[in-house]
Amino acid sequence: MPENLSPENYASQPSKLEGIQVYAPAPPPAEKHQLEVDFKCLKCGATTAFSVPDGSLTCTHCGFHEPPKKPVVGKGAEQFEFTVETMERAAHGWGEPRTEMECQSCGARTSLPTDMLTYTCAFCGSNKVIQREAPQDVLRPRFIVPFKIEPAQCGTLTRSWLESSWMTPSGLKNLSRLAEFSGVYLPYWTFDSVTAASWKAEVGHDKVERYYENGQWKERTVTHWRWESGNVRLAHDDLIVEGSARLSRRLMEQLKDFDLGALMPYEPSFLAGLQARAYDIPLEAAWETARQEMREKTRQACYSQASTPKVRSFSMELDFSEESWRYILLPMYVAAYRFQDKTFQVMLNGQTGRIAGQRPVDWTKVGLVAALIAAPGLLLCLLGLLTLLFGIGFGIGGLGLVLLLVGGVIDAVIIAKAMSMDDI
Amino acid sequence: MISDMDTPPIASQDPEQPAAQAEPVNLWGTEYSLFACSSCGWGYLAAPTPAQRCPHCYKASLSPMQPLPEGYLPQNLPPELVFPFTLGTSAQAQRLQEFTNGIPYPPADMSPANLKERLRRVFIPAWLVDAGVRAGWQAETGFNYEVVSHQERYSDNQGGWRTKEVKETRVRWEPRLGKLERSYQNISLPAVEREAALEKSLGGFEPAGARPYAPELAAEAFIRLPARSRQDAWPDALPRLQNMAAEECRQAAGADHLRDFRWSPEFHSQEWTLLLQPVYSTYYLDDEGQPHPVYLNGQSGAISGVRRASPKRAQRRSLTILIVAAILFMISLVLVLAGALVPPLLAVGGFGLFAGVLVAFAAAVPAMVVWQFNRSQEG
Repeated sequence: MPENLSPENYASQPSKLEGIQVYAPAPPPAEKHQLEVDFKCLKCGATTAFSVPDGSLTCTHCGFHEPPKKPVVGKGAEQFEFTVETMERAAHGWGEPRTEMECQSCGARTSLPTDMLTYTCAFCGSNKVIQREAPQDVLRPRFIVPFKIEPAQCGTLTRSWLESSWMTPSGLKNLSRLAEFSGVYLPYWTFDSVTAASWKAEVGHDKVERYYENGQWKERTVTHWRWESGNVRLAHDDLIVEGSARLSRRLMEQLKDFDLGALMPYEPSFLAGLQARAYDIPLEAAWETARQEMREKTRQACYSQASTPKVRSFSMELDFSEESWRYILLPMYVAAYRFQDKTFQVMLNGQTGRIAGQRPVDWTKVGLVAALIAAPGLLLCLLGLLTLLFGIGFGIGGLGLVLLLVGGVIDAVIIAKAMSMDDI
Repeated sequence: MISDMDTPPIASQDPEQPAAQAEPVNLWGTEYSLFACSSCGWGYLAAPTPAQRCPHCYKASLSPMQPLPEGYLPQNLPPELVFPFTLGTSAQAQRLQEFTNGIPYPPADMSPANLKERLRRVFIPAWLVDAGVRAGWQAETGFNYEVVSHQERYSDNQGGWRTKEVKETRVRWEPRLGKLERSYQNISLPAVEREAALEKSLGGFEPAGARPYAPELAAEAFIRLPARSRQDAWPDALPRLQNMAAEECRQAAGADHLRDFRWSPEFHSQEWTLLLQPVYSTYYLDDEGQPHPVYLNGQSGAISGVRRASPKRAQRRSLTILIVAAILFMISLVLVLAGALVPPLLAVGGFGLFAGVLVAFAAAVPAMVVWQFNRSQEG
């Protein structure tokens, strides 16, 4: 055997041939896995929590700051491939539906759902971050966008959002107290891919033809169908898909405008004192959703290549390549408020401040406006009926009918919008 | 077994010395005489025989050679391996027949029977080297892994999307380094200068067909003397050793691929022996009586040699055609003259004149075909 070699930062590997030593780069020292991370002030030992304005762990007692240790990595954050191993392990999910946790501070036992990543001990008030064993290392949260919007801003933003629509009841402006906004890190998947498609279709070209019929020349439009084909290559960058099905998908869709340039490597301290959830929509299901979106975008790009919008017998073949994914946590505020004995849900993007949610509708106000819009048309129709005897009724009635029709369309839009305001 | 890398140059030869006076030397348990060709310079070991042509160039008779300097050949140890002649006589005849087929106007001497009758056995030597290596190495090793990808198909007529899951194999590259202490056996290196060209034209030999040397395997054959020293041949071994070491390092690391292999080797315990490779040699004479050698792989029967057509035979054929054309022309001319008296003969004579001119042109064809064929063989 050759003399032993001990290169720096390399570790010996088992060799499959006698007489050959093999060394591979040493893996980074394994961090001791702590199922539960407790946050105590380095100065006074009191409970610490993540402070949004300071962007650091802050002691609730002495105000000591402990800044995060990791820098912003943004969109350069590591991405992972869809290896067979990952797909198989991701399909196994989290196993047990609930886990029994024991508080390291006071010893109290708490039973938690598996997808909860944080909790505050109900007995001693200490903040915990749970680092559950993931089915595979890459399936634990690796990156996070920290909160930018402070909890104090949420009330102001929500009030101006509530007031921004004339359809809400007047009393809403004087709502004495909005429910507390809870900061929660929600699980999301991001996907990258390149789609390469080749398509063919019959594309219609309209032409005006002149023809002779019954002793006179007439014109008609004839569509000539011609086969066309083309190729499309689209790069999809950081398509965001929800990782949790527990909250309204419709609201979450409206709040997906995150700036992933602020991504930072995951650190438990970001979660201290906040809520956080692990994914319950597995990787494969989320990827299926993303793929649907990517292929539809590609199909639209293919359609746009056709020389006219008239297309039939369209077919395409599409290949995905360079597929990659990330599992990230994104900041969101969630709140509910009561108005006239009804509960309404509001969500606020913790990075951009964008709001989506339910708003109560003053149906009396909406009805009145709808009636006012329809009234001129209705009145003119009636006037037309009355003036039929004088020979001018057709004109007035016709105008009334047109106005009634326009008013009806506007009313339908208003009512649809009003209905969507309290729908989740 | 030779541990010294220096092979001295071949001994000076005396082409005038008659073969009968060649001193037999006892080598590898049998009696050989040393011969050399004054034309091509090839040296041979062969059984003491009457003078005969050099089996390489056939341009001169072999002359006896002075004894080889000490250390030129592994005197005490016979060649380690021999590829025996395994090509049967019917296969030889078939290959020679194929060689002579398709040549327009072949030289008179070029017949399968002549070629077969003149076949001689020649062993072309190659060095076999064993070497021990101690080295530090580093490389990038590649490990295969599978990823899940998708191919989709959409058709208006077939009601939407159809998805097909596909698995792709990709390679993950990781650095590896280490130390190596291995020994490599029987690395074959050319012992004659033109061996690569010969191997290109005759193909290689099946390694499994190698046998340990026995004098009877080399009986009635010429053994070509190595023309390259071991020192000269050794650099050829280095890339081969590097490739073998790289492959072993890949296996040791359990990798599927390896690239950018670098090492710092120290070689030791080199041992040199010979490998004998069988080639049949024969020749034919062209119009000028110049010999053209033809070689056959002694195992596979692959054949190599310049195929030349005979310009003289072609010229004779052209001349014959030209004479026929001239006679035809003369008769036709007479008929044309006679046409003045008997008009129908004028037409026959005119046609004859035209035919005579055509035949005269055709006389150039044999010479042109041969010229073209010989030109194509030069390439």
